[in-house]
Amino acid sequence: MSFKYPVVMPKMSMTMETGELINFHVAVGDQVKSGDVLFEVMTDKIDMEVEAPADGVIESLVANPGDVVEIGKPVLIMLTETEVMAFDFGTDDEPVAAVEVAPAPVAPPIATPVAPVAPVILNETIKAVPKARVEAANRGIDLRTVRATGPDRTITMEDVNGAQLDPAIAKRQAANKALIAKGIEMTRGIAQASFTRSVSANFDHATFIAAWAKVLRNRPDLAAHEHIGVALIIESKYGSALPVFRDPDQLKIADLAALVASTTDAAKNGKVPVAMLSGATTTVFDLTTYSMSSATPLLFPNQVTSVTIGYESATTKIVSLTIDLNFCDFYDGALLLDALVASL
Amino acid sequence: MGHPLSSPEHARHALLYMWRIRKFEEAVEDLFGRGMMHGTMHLSIGQEASPTGMCMAMTLQDQITSTHRGHGHCIAKGADLTRMIAELLGKKIGYCGGRGGSMHIADVETGNLGANGVVGGGIPIAAGAALASKMMKRGTVAVSFFGDGAMNEGAFHEAANLAAIWQLPMILFCENNKYGMSSSTEKAFAIDNLADRGKGYGIPGVNVDGNDVVAVYEVAQAAVDRAKAGDGPTLIIAETYRWKGHSRSDKNLYRTKEEIEEWRIKDPIPKFIARVIEEGILTQEQCDEIQNEAIEAIKAAVNEAVKAESAEPSGLLDAVFKAVSA
Amino acid sequence: MSDRMLTMAEAVREAMSIAFDERPEVFLLGEDVGIYGGAFGVSGDMYHRYGAERVLDTPIAELGIVGAAVGAALSGMRPIVEIQFSDFTAQAMDQIANQAAKIHFMLGGALHVPMVLRTPQGSGTGAAAQHSQNLEPWFASVPGLKVVVPSNPADAKGLLLSAIDDPNPVIFLEHKLLYKIPGRDPVPEGATRIPLGVSKVVREGKDLTIVATGIMVNKSWEVAEKLAAEGITITLIDPRTISPLDMGPVFESVEKTGRLMVVQEGPAHAGFINEVIAQMAGSSSFGSLIAPIKRLAGMNIPIPYAPQLEKAAVPQIDDIEAAAREIVKNWR
Repeated sequence: MSFKYPVVMPKMSMTMETGELINFHVAVGDQVKSGDVLFEVMTDKIDMEVEAPADGVIESLVANPGDVVEIGKPVLIMLTETEVMAFDFGTDDEPVAAVEVAPAPVAPPIATPVAPVAPVILNETIKAVPKARVEAANRGIDLRTVRATGPDRTITMEDVNGAQLDPAIAKRQAANKALIAKGIEMTRGIAQASFTRSVSANFDHATFIAAWAKVLRNRPDLAAHEHIGVALIIESKYGSALPVFRDPDQLKIADLAALVASTTDAAKNGKVPVAMLSGATTTVFDLTTYSMSSATPLLFPNQVTSVTIGYESATTKIVSLTIDLNFCDFYDGALLLDALVASL
Repeated sequence: MGHPLSSPEHARHALLYMWRIRKFEEAVEDLFGRGMMHGTMHLSIGQEASPTGMCMAMTLQDQITSTHRGHGHCIAKGADLTRMIAELLGKKIGYCGGRGGSMHIADVETGNLGANGVVGGGIPIAAGAALASKMMKRGTVAVSFFGDGAMNEGAFHEAANLAAIWQLPMILFCENNKYGMSSSTEKAFAIDNLADRGKGYGIPGVNVDGNDVVAVYEVAQAAVDRAKAGDGPTLIIAETYRWKGHSRSDKNLYRTKEEIEEWRIKDPIPKFIARVIEEGILTQEQCDEIQNEAIEAIKAAVNEAVKAESAEPSGLLDAVFKAVSA
Repeated sequence: MSDRMLTMAEAVREAMSIAFDERPEVFLLGEDVGIYGGAFGVSGDMYHRYGAERVLDTPIAELGIVGAAVGAALSGMRPIVEIQFSDFTAQAMDQIANQAAKIHFMLGGALHVPMVLRTPQGSGTGAAAQHSQNLEPWFASVPGLKVVVPSNPADAKGLLLSAIDDPNPVIFLEHKLLYKIPGRDPVPEGATRIPLGVSKVVREGKDLTIVATGIMVNKSWEVAEKLAAEGITITLIDPRTISPLDMGPVFESVEKTGRLMVVQEGPAHAGFINEVIAQMAGSSSFGSLIAPIKRLAGMNIPIPYAPQLEKAAVPQIDDIEAAAREIVKNWR
């Protein structure tokens, strides 16, 4: 019996991937003994003689002298008298599944912030202790305007704590405060009533404002507008921002959630899209991040309802509703709150 | 086990295990040559008689430490072929889960405390195992396999001395294949007879033809008996030869073709086959059948191992320490 | 020493004796540990109490004896190997770093090495360069070794008991200068363990966090006492186990004090204590720092012989005090 055995280009070093066939020492038909040199191969580091693994005869030459052959690929075929330990598993190249690139999300229109008044630059290059940098970022302080009194002209916490706020930011904060105060003044004389309920559900902002909008849509008789616009209060470094989500119950919840997330991010940086700055018919204020609750949400000008979400315990929240009694009576107000709580 | 010539079963065991080692190493050579194994391989083709003979004088509970050229020791002590190939292929079911590779295979169930990538690394460890055996009165022996190259390491000296002064049940088994990588024993030693080193420690030093499995067994059994009787360690110098280079990156620049040829003639396997046939213990057919059995066993192991799952990086951090029990 | 104010040598001996009594597979081997009682008197009378079968005197052969410990540990024993000076672990490095540390991982969990290597380290005895090193980073940088540095006798006892229980190789670094003196606290009776890998907040303060190892814990404590009287309060943290390192209390403390100082005996360059700084620099607590991180460590020189030179080579109480004052004063 004889066995057909392909003698392959061997791997001779850890990094070798191909080898060059230099020459054959045998011809087709030659009888060889185990250990006889069959051919010489070379890589950049090593040249070696490849030996016959067993006694046999050369059947055919596969590669040519000068060829560069991949390791594991045959150089010649011999017929051996004894079985040689040889394993040819071939290569399994599975086609790589095409990776789908998710379409880039469409960014909402960004309003450009008010151009700040040019501050006085004290240092072009800044050295500041880590906490000072964190504090400055939180408070909108430009470290270039802060006087450094620490060793090696490094800005210390003391320096930052004593620093003046960027005048432009202070101006915007003051403007925001004035606007809100004026609004509250306008609603002071309106007859209103407030209701409170505990809720054990878990919900995010998108879910809540969609649920609230849906409840309102079912009572068009209590509305003062054609559309529903839910203003969500978000704290930013410039004070409170009130982006308005129009008809949120008519969006797909996933789309609404994405919109709420991107708007929240933008608002925290003081950049609410201009299109979202008007059209509020109701307002939602989430106090749970401050571990607080308020049983008497404030009505905003031209709005019939106002809602707060408050913190009661790790598992329960308090939802409170204020209604403008000119448009909505006690009983209907209670029904609205019931409907909202039931839908959460 | 017992003397290889004492019965057909014993002869069969000796021949089967030598063939298993031979065919295993040839398979590794093939797989490595195809680029399927990472790193490098240290093959022991031509040296099969030494571990086979030594391990036939041992029980499962007796322990061994091995070297970077340790496939033969592992197989002779009874390791599972599939798990060995799987380890070389970086598979989960490999002896080390793909984390150790060729030079770090251990098999607790067969008393194998591990191959070692450091020359001489296993010798003091075997002394410690022998110490534990003595302290716990287990009656087992620890065999340290090492090459001629290790005999010039400080670790050999320190371990041999400890074994001698504490009369440890230990065998220092040197497979003298004449070369520590490229340095020949003629150049690395100022003495001709390596066994003479035993005298320096007060240990008997014994020479044996490492390619004669019967001779190796006889010397090994005597050393095991000495150790288990409480008479201390023995240094065995088994003369053998490796056909292939030190590792797969070796170009054989340091020895001649004639030298390599001379040793092929002393192939331990045909030598043993001739003997058992001459003494009527086994027939040629039986010998052929044993060879086939070994070939089939290796093929089955390779085929199974190749299909096994590859080792994954998750869990590497947790693998460094053994968990502390509460 | 009266009542429970034991020296570190006594505390270590007590822990070893408890372990010997609890488990028959625990034994001690090393140069001069038997009849002589140990070069620093740590093993003391253990040879007479437990006999030559469990307290083994060895020839001078660190590589061989640590290797034998590894082999014994692989075979069901729990050896404690004492290397006479930590400097000589160099002779045994193959068995420590290439064998003991790696066996559990390399062998896929098939075997483990429950071995403790105890060795004295540190300078201050005039033993000069080759007998005074602090080699914490050598061991801490090898995955697979646990490394413990007790700063006082009470901790030493509890930590050593845990180290002996641990199924992994533990390097236990004792400071020579602490062997013959008691600590601030009495050593508890009984066999209570202190877990490895848990840092200790030795005292709390609000102005500065000091992380120190070994003998520097005690020097830092003196400084903290002195400055407390002036209204400057210091949180002092002793990691006790330097590998694996418990950084939790450090992050917590820096978030309160905003100032971090690290103190070690070994040379500054590539020393162990840099690990604390590296982790702090990459952490979320980094933003709490109101001052640069201050490092006090040994000079990058071999330890010199003459006493005034030997002192100058490593941080002293005065150095720690000056650094603490400076950081609190200049960084507000």
